[in-house]
Formats: sequence, structure tokens, C-alpha cells
Amino acid sequence: MTFNNLTEGQLDALKEISNIGMGHAATALSQLIGETVQLRVPQITVSDIADVPEKIGGPEKIVVGITLQVLGDARGNILLVFPEDSAGQLISRLIRQPSLDLADEICVSTIKEVGNILASAYLSALGSLLNMTLIPSIPLLAYDMAGAVVDNILIELSEAGDMALLVETEFHGVNPEIEPIKGHFLLLPDPHSLDIILHAVGGQG
Amino acid sequence: MSDKLRVGISELQISEAPAVLVTYGLGSCLGITLYDPELRLGGMAHTLLPTVRPERREPRPAKFVDSALTLMLEQMLERGASRERLQAKVVGGANMFASLSPSGDGGVGARNIQAARAALEQLEIPLLAEDVGGHHGRTVEFDLASGEARVRSVRGRDKLLIL
Repeated sequence: MTFNNLTEGQLDALKEISNIGMGHAATALSQLIGETVQLRVPQITVSDIADVPEKIGGPEKIVVGITLQVLGDARGNILLVFPEDSAGQLISRLIRQPSLDLADEICVSTIKEVGNILASAYLSALGSLLNMTLIPSIPLLAYDMAGAVVDNILIELSEAGDMALLVETEFHGVNPEIEPIKGHFLLLPDPHSLDIILHAVGGQG
Repeated sequence: MSDKLRVGISELQISEAPAVLVTYGLGSCLGITLYDPELRLGGMAHTLLPTVRPERREPRPAKFVDSALTLMLEQMLERGASRERLQAKVVGGANMFASLSPSGDGGVGARNIQAARAALEQLEIPLLAEDVGGHHGRTVEFDLASGEARVRSVRGRDKLLIL
């Protein structure tokens, strides 16, 4: 199975389960910040590894990235990417600190916890839909150029091929009074795990 | 204004002065440059992994440190570069999530750096300068008029480093 020859039906199935999983993640985020968070319908794209940095704002955009490994019945990586100002907003709303400071342990662990909560919400929804056990690893954080933040994951994927399957969505707050928090949620399954996921979805492998 | 030629992930570009080769947002990846100062001819590769697996036919040789260097050398020589004049610079190979991960072996970034040093030694190309390792991202502009590699970072100790 390679990412290139997925059928329409398989893509639709992936989209549907992702929509539900991401919905849970958005609900978790809403409750955390006490504000409604809207979600764009997730897009499933098969993209060249080289194009992934463009998808999260371009390789030089300064972002906060939280990465978690997916462990259990299927393997892969989750990457949450917040633009710098949105990460600052999150921090100021969650712990009343003025801005994101990497030297501040509370700041770093708050952002990592946000990643953990979103990823767990997503994975537990996905896992119960697919009847699989999916567990997130400890979250890791980097605050740097987007290209540098994602290349670790891309390197891992590139050992198997040149394409990445991206489940991607953006979420944003809806209160017009407050500057919206934006972010990208990316799921990058390992190529070998895609078979397992598709099998569980019921698509033909 | 000089032309800026972008070198994408797993790509390699060769050009000559006054062009500027640029690659953005290196984390654990490497930017490797070769330069012939007399012809002001240079090349840059953006590699992901240390070594190509011999049993596999690799559609993108510039993805790997060793095969990217071999190919870049070949293309430079084809364009008239002299092997004796060639000099190399290496940038990147950071461990972006290291400060937070317990296994402090430097990860794939460190393996990339080692692969580049070893491959250059084997090809007998002097490694003139490097800005490698650490935990921050880098963008490299390789100015073929001067042979200068300008390394920009947002989180590193130096915001601009000239190699």
C-alpha cells in the first residue's frame, strides 16, 4: 500500500473518522479556553514531503510545534502547529501570562499539555471508532521556523518514501472581540500503519 | 539584484555568480555547499538522511548526504570546476526536540553531520566551515559571488552568522 493509490472511498472514510476525531479535539480546546472553537472540515491530502512546510505557513514562519508519536495498534506522528501569536494567546488565556516564554517552565508545560489534550481527544475518538488502541507519547515542543519544526517528522517518513498523508485542519475562535487562536493539526500515519487503519475503516486495501 | 534560487527539500542546485542559492528552515536536515572560488561556481543540497541504501534505486539522490555529495561533485566537475579548488560548508543537523527528550544522542541531526564529514573526507574535499548541531532552525543563503554562506536563525545564539 502506498499513499499514491488510495481510492476516493478510502479517502472519504479517512476524512469522516478524522472529522469526528478532530471535533472531539476542538471541543476539548473550547473547554480549555472557555470559548467556542470552530473547526474547518479536515482535508486529507497526499503530498510530497518537500511541500509539507508550505502547508503550515511556509518554512520560515515562526511557529510553536508540539509533536507526539502515536503508539499502539497503528503508528504515526501528530503535529500541532500554532503561529507564534496564537500560542501567545493560548498562554495568556490559560495561565494569564503575557506571552510565550520558552525559559518559563510553566509556559512550556502548559502548551505541551494543550497538545496532549488535543491529541488524546483525537486519538481516543479515532480509537473507539476503529476499535483500536491508540495512545499518544509524551509531547515534545519546539518554537522555531516551521521548516525546522517539521523536518524531524519528515525525515522519519522519508525513510519509507517521498510522500506524506496529511490529515489537516485549522481551528479558530469565533469571538469577534478577541483575536482568534489559529492552529494546524496534522496527522501523519506511518506508511505501514495506513493499511491497518484502512482495514479497520473497512476500505479495500 | 541577484537571482535567488531556492533549494527545496531533497533537492540540489548548481549555479554561478551572481546567483544566490537559498534553503529555508533547516532543522535536522543539512544544507551542504560546494564552491569553486576561481569560477565562482557553487552548489547546494538540502538533504534529509545520512546514507542511501544500496539495495534501493533511489529516485531522489539529493535526499541523502552521501549520494547528494557524489552527484553535486559530478555536476560541478561537468561544469568545469576543478576538484582541487573545491571547498565545502555544512549547516544544520540540529536536534529540534532534544532539550526535552531524555535520549541525548543528538538523533538524526548528529548522524547527518557525521555522514557529511565522512563523505567529504572520503572525497578529499576540505570542510571550510560549519554551523551545525544545537537545537535551533537555520536558513542558509549561499552567495556565489563571494562564496559566503549566511546562516540566519531565530532562536540560535547568533541571528546571523557568516561562514
